[in-house]
Amino acid sequence: MSKKECVAMLLAGGQGSRLLALTKKNAKPAVAFGGKYRIIDFSLSNCVNSGIDTVGVLTQYRPMILNRYLGNGEAWDLDTPDGGVHVLPPYATEAGGRWYNGTADAIYRNIDFIDNYDPEYVVILSGDHLYKMDYNEMLEFHKERNADLTVSVIPVPWEEASRFGVMSVDDDKNITRFAEKPKEPESNLASMGLYIFNWDVLRRALEEDHVIADSDHDFGKNLIPKLLGEGKKLCAYTFRGYWQDVGTIDSYYSSQMALLEENPEFDIFEDNMRIFSNSNVEPPHYAGENAVISGSLVCNGCIILGTVKHSILSPGVYVGADALVEDSILLPNVRVEAGARVFQAIAGEGAVVEAGACFAGGNAKEKIALIGDSEHFKSL
Amino acid sequence: MKRMMGLVCTNYTDGDFGLLTKDRPIASIPYGGRYRLVDFPLSNMVNSGITTVGLITPHRYRSLLDHVGNGKEWALGRRVGGMFILPGSIYGMRNSNGKFLLRDLLGNHSFFERTARELVVISASSTVFNIDFRQVAEAHEKSGASITLLYKHMDDGASGKSPSLVCDDTNRVTAVNTGETGAANVFMDTMIIDRELLLRFLDWYKNQSYLDLLDIIREDLEQIRVYGYAFDGYVRSITNATDYMSASMELLNPQVIKELFMGERQIHTKVQDAHPAKYGPNGSSRNAMIATGCVIKGTIENTIVFRGCTVEEGAVVRNSVLLPNTVLEEGVVLDRVICDKFSHISKGVTLTGTVERPLIVNLRETKK
Repeated sequence: MSKKECVAMLLAGGQGSRLLALTKKNAKPAVAFGGKYRIIDFSLSNCVNSGIDTVGVLTQYRPMILNRYLGNGEAWDLDTPDGGVHVLPPYATEAGGRWYNGTADAIYRNIDFIDNYDPEYVVILSGDHLYKMDYNEMLEFHKERNADLTVSVIPVPWEEASRFGVMSVDDDKNITRFAEKPKEPESNLASMGLYIFNWDVLRRALEEDHVIADSDHDFGKNLIPKLLGEGKKLCAYTFRGYWQDVGTIDSYYSSQMALLEENPEFDIFEDNMRIFSNSNVEPPHYAGENAVISGSLVCNGCIILGTVKHSILSPGVYVGADALVEDSILLPNVRVEAGARVFQAIAGEGAVVEAGACFAGGNAKEKIALIGDSEHFKSL
Repeated sequence: MKRMMGLVCTNYTDGDFGLLTKDRPIASIPYGGRYRLVDFPLSNMVNSGITTVGLITPHRYRSLLDHVGNGKEWALGRRVGGMFILPGSIYGMRNSNGKFLLRDLLGNHSFFERTARELVVISASSTVFNIDFRQVAEAHEKSGASITLLYKHMDDGASGKSPSLVCDDTNRVTAVNTGETGAANVFMDTMIIDRELLLRFLDWYKNQSYLDLLDIIREDLEQIRVYGYAFDGYVRSITNATDYMSASMELLNPQVIKELFMGERQIHTKVQDAHPAKYGPNGSSRNAMIATGCVIKGTIENTIVFRGCTVEEGAVVRNSVLLPNTVLEEGVVLDRVICDKFSHISKGVTLTGTVERPLIVNLRETKK
């Protein structure tokens, strides 16, 4: 195995339980987004666009769709002979088997994987964030500053800062203090959960953290404070651009609806920093004789006989005659049968809104109506 | 069941397509919003469990090889078998309308020798259908045929452009006619032949390499057991630009889309991975097929739109085909037009063709 300057480790094992029904059968990074994409596409595409060709993907919660989707990494040009995408689930050893216990533990258990490539630097990524970023620029910053660890941060409105891990920095962007969800934040620089470590520093920290009995083995909670306490050089790299953690149904919905604007802030349509996805081979979408489609994103394999307004249709969606879909997100292979109405709603993969049914949010009961994968919504 | 290998022939005349074949062979004409014609024979073979496919190249093969690559998209990038690019001969003498030039087979003799597969499925690349050849191979064996020619019975669809078959009660072929119109069993440019027989043909006719495989078969109908296989699905042969247009319009029939593209057997093609089609607030499409990467702000009716096209506000396109990356500026009006790749129609231009003569805008052409 040849030496790599930089290896990426992508944390994709979390459930993302705040996405409710959408992650009942599927890990959050594999939840469909923006029609044809899955959330992990954004981090993976960033890797490819930054020239990182070796990515370990740490999986744990319901990895079936994720594994199938990643395949051999070909869709992201990551099927390279010397690197590529490697799915890294928890495994058993002679001492028995156990689950990954915290983000740092997941990396600790794959020290051998990283050692294989003997990298100078390791990038730690989350598989559930929306952003476009050239990690090279951050790596250059990391090298210039001669840092042990660089944390990517983004300025957030002060009133929201207490929702994040917040970094206090000095004038030279050295991190002086780290506070996890502070009640009274002294900085508005939120950690993006994106780190570049010198591998030797990270490796030692992981080994030391591993034997601390009361550690949560978490990067934010344990590793960063530990390195800060040891006087290591921690720098903050300020990212300016669109960044969003699709944490809740609300943010999942609103960040996708924003894609429908004329010039969306999160521009997945432009050719530079392209977003790659594992596309299907379905035919172009078909608009029927009486179809009405406007202000929407529509993917291949869709058949639209009714009306679709201001909505996002993933691949293979069927909208029957006289059906109406408005302000909604339909995940792959959803069927909206004839005469059904879908309004301000999200339907999971393969869900069915039965003929004549009215599946709607925007009311006192629920702001956004939601059904999970393969569920049926029947006429009342 | 006997095992099959495949051969896709693309080396034949393309004179009737006008600008569409100026820089490409028939096999790589874009079709159906994201495909090229060669995708149909290739996918049919792969979907029938065939894992060794030879592709005879036409003389201008750049776009074809760019498209098929090593066959990876058809699962033909394999350790065992896979896609074999077989150089076609340069036809100085054009053989009337033959599609299976012996010279091309002779020049690639070793492809047929180095295999233990008993049957060769041979298909041209200008006819569109979706089939499982395993059923044909079964019928082939059952009838004891050495050659099985696929046909589609048309009550009134025969146009005289494709050869047609006359079969007896047992479906044995007794004559192959040309120029038939009206009701006929129209040959689908596809056959199954015993490999041993094919090798014998190549031996017998090695000095008459100008012949076409179908010519030889026609001459030997009494000696060789040639049977017909009636296919009852959708078949569309595309022989010129007018055909291309009307065949494209047929794709807008939901039944045709369903049968060709939405069934168990997918048509595979080179994946480009563009963003979802985006409709502006005033965009609309009716009776249309629209691929990814498009931005639709105008009005689209009865039209096939390939990947990456832009239709600006106020532009109206009807009864047309837009090949990849066409740009229609504001206020453009198109009716019965084929816009080739990267063509650009400037603000306010109106272009109109007819059913018989669709107007073709050339590759990379700008209309002002």
